[in-house]
Amino acid sequence: MGYAAARGGLDAILAAEELMRAKRDGGTSPPLEISQLTERLNLAVDRVMGEAGLWAPDLAARALRQAEGDIIEAAHLLRAYRSTRPRLAAGPVTHADEIEVLRRIVPAYRVPPGPQLLGRTLDYVGRLLDDGTPSGPAHRPAAAGGNGQVSHPDHPATADTGGQAEDPARRRPGRLLDLLRGQGMIRDRRRDDDPEPHDVTREPVRPGVPRSARLSVMARAETGALVNLWYRNILGPDGYIHEITLGEVRHGRLPVRVTHPVTGQPVRLGSVRVTEVEAIEDLDGPDEDRGVFDVGYGLCLGHNERKAIAMANLDIAVERDGGQSGLEQSVLMTTDGLDASGFLEHLKLPHYVTFRSMVDRKAAIRAAAEQQAPQQQAAGVTR
Amino acid sequence: MTVAELAAPAGTGEFGHLDEQSKREIRNALLTAVAVPGYQVPFASREMPVARGWGSGGLQVTLAVIGPQDTIKVIDQGDDAGVNAANLRRLIVASTGVPDTTDARAASIIQTRHRIPEDPLAPGQILVLQVPVPEPLRGVERDMRELRRMHAEADYSKIWVSLYEDLVRNGVITQSTGYPVLVGGRYVMATTPIPRWDVPRLHQAGFLSLFGAGREKRVYAVPPHTSVEPLAFEDVPFQVERTEGASCLLCGAAEAYLVEVPARHGWICSDTDWCWRRREAADG
Repeated sequence: MGYAAARGGLDAILAAEELMRAKRDGGTSPPLEISQLTERLNLAVDRVMGEAGLWAPDLAARALRQAEGDIIEAAHLLRAYRSTRPRLAAGPVTHADEIEVLRRIVPAYRVPPGPQLLGRTLDYVGRLLDDGTPSGPAHRPAAAGGNGQVSHPDHPATADTGGQAEDPARRRPGRLLDLLRGQGMIRDRRRDDDPEPHDVTREPVRPGVPRSARLSVMARAETGALVNLWYRNILGPDGYIHEITLGEVRHGRLPVRVTHPVTGQPVRLGSVRVTEVEAIEDLDGPDEDRGVFDVGYGLCLGHNERKAIAMANLDIAVERDGGQSGLEQSVLMTTDGLDASGFLEHLKLPHYVTFRSMVDRKAAIRAAAEQQAPQQQAAGVTR
Repeated sequence: MTVAELAAPAGTGEFGHLDEQSKREIRNALLTAVAVPGYQVPFASREMPVARGWGSGGLQVTLAVIGPQDTIKVIDQGDDAGVNAANLRRLIVASTGVPDTTDARAASIIQTRHRIPEDPLAPGQILVLQVPVPEPLRGVERDMRELRRMHAEADYSKIWVSLYEDLVRNGVITQSTGYPVLVGGRYVMATTPIPRWDVPRLHQAGFLSLFGAGREKRVYAVPPHTSVEPLAFEDVPFQVERTEGASCLLCGAAEAYLVEVPARHGWICSDTDWCWRRREAADG
């Protein structure tokens, strides 16, 4: 036995792997190309990148294909891959005002400063199951003008300008927040002693961390976890937060730069697509300045408005809570998809050593109760 | 450094899977843990090729301390052949090339989930324990800020009260595994979930115990020759698991951690290699 016996588990694992591979790579349809995933399932690819915290569309698509469409599994593959790579450089901070918008809406005003740019969204598309007829370029009506279709937002050649020249300033609109600030309507929480952003991949978080850590955690969080945490706080079991008013919902490209090692100048490497949300909160607490609004912020990789909106809501909710409830701990510690799913699924591991110990205690409790019972009878104790 | 190297596929480059910066960072945290026995040291905790809750913390600790001269043993529930043990072992061996063994006496590093091998371990050996929940006080306090205060001030009154209440309600202390211990007379520590049977074997041990909690991003340690005392009352002694008359169906051992085999109406050793060696020795 000895070493030979240790093979048992390994043989079973290898057989399981083969079953996974055979089903995934078998079948009668052609194998999935990476470009099919990045073009046809781009929202799933975006979600994997967002929850992995790594911008790498082709790698995310590979992960999604390998994981058979399981988003959390794919995010895990991407993060585990990232663990093997050295960190080469940290980029200088990029201001979100540099986002070149593909979509921008301002629910708080009918006519805000800058455009209402509907862009690419399912918001007003009827949820009707289509008949499966492809609607590729050959089938599509002539390019829609203005804010029409985008087949793939990472390829500017096909971006949603409809082939028409456009005022570049329209793609870099100002913010509603600036207007409100100008009117003195916003509680000013900007600070000039802001330290470097807290890197949650290098320093673990716990309650009391700076806001940058909270935002980073939520940016990598599982979408469903943030939505659920928000909704629990809307309906009440965990507390109560407002339905806030959205000031900005943006999807666009944000440039990424590094500092050139020789010249010391920032060099643009490319861009990432992000979703950004500003949530305007009506302060109504007894100790709050009711004459102004406050604002919550959300930003995540890829196009994922659900996540960015939940994030902005929870950001301001944690700020207002001020550590009174467990909300901050919930946001920081319970929203990571890999943490929660991994721990949940570990229950499938063998637990017979611990279970035997529990059975031992049950026997001890019953023995103690039996010992107690005759004594109580003898003493005439009744219940 | 070339672009081709940087773009190399995952898991084929570094010795021990993680890049050197990451391993150094984990070792730094482990040094703090050894210097302050029983104290939970935060560390960055990388995402590993195994999921959170499946030994990602233990794996990081092992990969951070392992060198080419080491020999590794990996067990789950005391069993070398368990699927999780087999999976972790192949990851460690594939990324380091070190030899593996099932004999606890021959291993320089033993990564384990839920058990300490029955063999007495020698000075110089390292036991790496996978930890699901590193916080021993979570059952009595949920707020993380308050937990930090309690550890900082050694304010352990709540857990003592909970043990007392347990005793009064149930006639015995019902904590089964992961029994809380006081380490070096200072920090209350969670004993992963090893059974109570294994807890006394940490006390003044000659070997080094390193605990890795990947999901919760904490490491802690019991250095050699450190006191590890289970929390118990003077007149209610700490009890290990024991069933009257039980002995191993295979090797006959009664003084070992036994797990029940209901189909055979009996018990077997949880440490499979120790049990096998006993049978080999008996067969002559």
